Parts: sequence; structure tokens; C-alpha cells
Amino acid sequence: MALNPQYDAIGKGFVQQYYTLFDDPAQRPTLANMYNVETSFMTFEGVQLQGAVKIMEKLNSLTFQKITRLVTSVDSQPMFDGGVLINVLGRLQCDEDPPHPYMQTFVLKPLGDSFFVQHDIFRLGIHDVA
Amino acid sequence: MSILNMDYDYLIKLLCVGDSGVGKTSFLYKYTDGVFHTQFISTVGIDFREKTVIYQQNGRQHRIHLQLWDTAGQERFRSLTTAFYRDAMGFLLLFDLTNEASFLEVRNWIEQLKTHSLSDDPDIVLCGHKCDLQEKRLVNQNRAREFAKNYNLPYLETSAKTGQNIDRAIEILLDKIMYRMETSVEYAMLCASGRRRQSLQKLQAKQDKKFCSSC
Repeated sequence: MALNPQYDAIGKGFVQQYYTLFDDPAQRPTLANMYNVETSFMTFEGVQLQGAVKIMEKLNSLTFQKITRLVTSVDSQPMFDGGVLINVLGRLQCDEDPPHPYMQTFVLKPLGDSFFVQHDIFRLGIHDVA
Repeated sequence: MSILNMDYDYLIKLLCVGDSGVGKTSFLYKYTDGVFHTQFISTVGIDFREKTVIYQQNGRQHRIHLQLWDTAGQERFRSLTTAFYRDAMGFLLLFDLTNEASFLEVRNWIEQLKTHSLSDDPDIVLCGHKCDLQEKRLVNQNRAREFAKNYNLPYLETSAKTGQNIDRAIEILLDKIMYRMETSVEYAMLCASGRRRQSLQKLQAKQDKKFCSSC
């Protein structure tokens, strides 16, 4: 499969759609549709998860009521299998907590006319030393 | 009881820990007289406030500068980093009396504190918080007392809303720390040695002290 020339628009469009669903508690469960039941991987703060069910369990276990975020950058690259590699740098704020920087990386894998999230890696930008 | 100048005899770092949502921030907010001036170090996710108190010991007065460390909510996502625990001298361990899960997690928090603190037997005060919400209470007092007794921890029921036992909890913790410092030369020496452990040293009173994470 060829490189997808639309990689940048796909990356930005995906990130916007993903966070719109994520940040609305009522719509968050629909994120399950973006992951494959078996072949999607997530690394959430170092915890390895495989498959849509485990991934959604993790996302649903997060305890905040409200989350808002600012996306600073979305950097994307086309992949040789037609997929898109996306790296997000942003800042999120849960309830009344102070804001935290974070990074999130996605790999979108082509599936028919669309994509699914094959890889998803999330980390807060918190260090061991100041 | 608090004084406003920066002179002090001891600098003591206390951590406030417990599940997210148990009221750690409002506890510390209440203790520091409702002053919302905190210093947030975003790179390590630490929020801290300070208060200087006078402490009486054997007829002597000590000026103690308390640094009260709070998380910035990252425990919602992950466990806390070692930077947060480093050099802590005492712990306020909070759970929410209206949230049973937060009480069940206290055991894990105690293990965390034992793993990360300077001592195998860290000074901890257990606080059942939000005791003003009597009609929503899910953890009864006897059960919490019994638990605390098993772990040999002082137990208090606190409320940031009414202020009940907030000062008392910190006084009890301070008593334990000062007692330990007085009685354990070895501990004091241990804490006083090494660059990372300077916080326990009797510090020269200096103006314009700046926070730095490595000391």
C-alpha cells in the first residue's frame, strides 16, 4: 500500500475527533469503536493493555469528572502500509487540579475506507527531578 | 501562632497523600488559613504551601517552617514519582469518610509510604476526612479506629469545612517528628547527612530562601 498524501489532515482530524469523544463522559464509551478487539495496543502511563475491552476498562476507570485540554501540536507522518503515525503534545486539566502537560502517540492502521487505532501511548509530562 | 518572617530553626517537609478526591488540597488550604497561594512545580507535578509555627519542646521554643506538599492530581493517572516522596519527614494520610474505596486504599498507601520514606516506620497520621458530611458517611468511626489501631497510627476525623481537627492532625504529626528527632540521634544524623537530606538539618535562618527540588 502506498503512502497516504493526506496524512497531515488525517492526523489533525483524528486528534480532534478523538478528544471530542474522550472529553465528553457521555460519548467516551464510543471510543471503543476506534480500537480493534484484539490487535490494538495501549500503553497508558507505562501500563500495557491489549484489545478494545481492556483499553476501555482503563479509560473508564479514570476518576475525574471533567477534563479540558489544549493541544499544542499534532505532528504526523505517513506510513508505508498506508497508515498514519501521530504525535500529540498538549496540556490537560482535570476538575480543579493544576494543568499537566502530556504526550500521546497514535498509529492509525487502514481498514477499508477508514482507520482504526492500532497503537496508543499516553504519558503525563511529569519528571522525577525538577 | 504563625509568624510571617522567614527565620526558622527547623524546616520540615510533610506530605499529604490519599486517593484523588479525598480532599487533600482543601485540608491544606484550611490549615494555611485559606491562603490559596501555592507554589506549583509543574515539571514534577508538586504543589506546595508553607506555614511557620512555634513549637514548644522542653520549655524551649522552636520556630518550625512547614512545607506541606500536595500532588497536582497526577495520581488519577499514575502512581506518584519518587521525587514526591523524597525527604518527606511525616505523612498526613487522608481518606474520605463518604467513600469506602478510599478507605480500602489506605492499606496500599501505607505500603507506598513505607517503601518510599526515609524510615521503615514512617510517622503517619490517619485522617478520616469530610466528617461534616454525617448523612453521607460510609465508614463508621469504630471501623476506622480499629484499623488505625492495628497499624499503630493516630486516627482523627477531620473536616475542611468546619475546620475540625485540622490543626490537631498536624500538631500530632509534628509531635511525632520532633520526638523522633530528639530521641534518635542516628536518624537525625542520617537525615542531616548528604546533600539530598539537608532539609532536616538545623538550618541557618536565611532571607529569600528559594525552593530547589534537590535539597
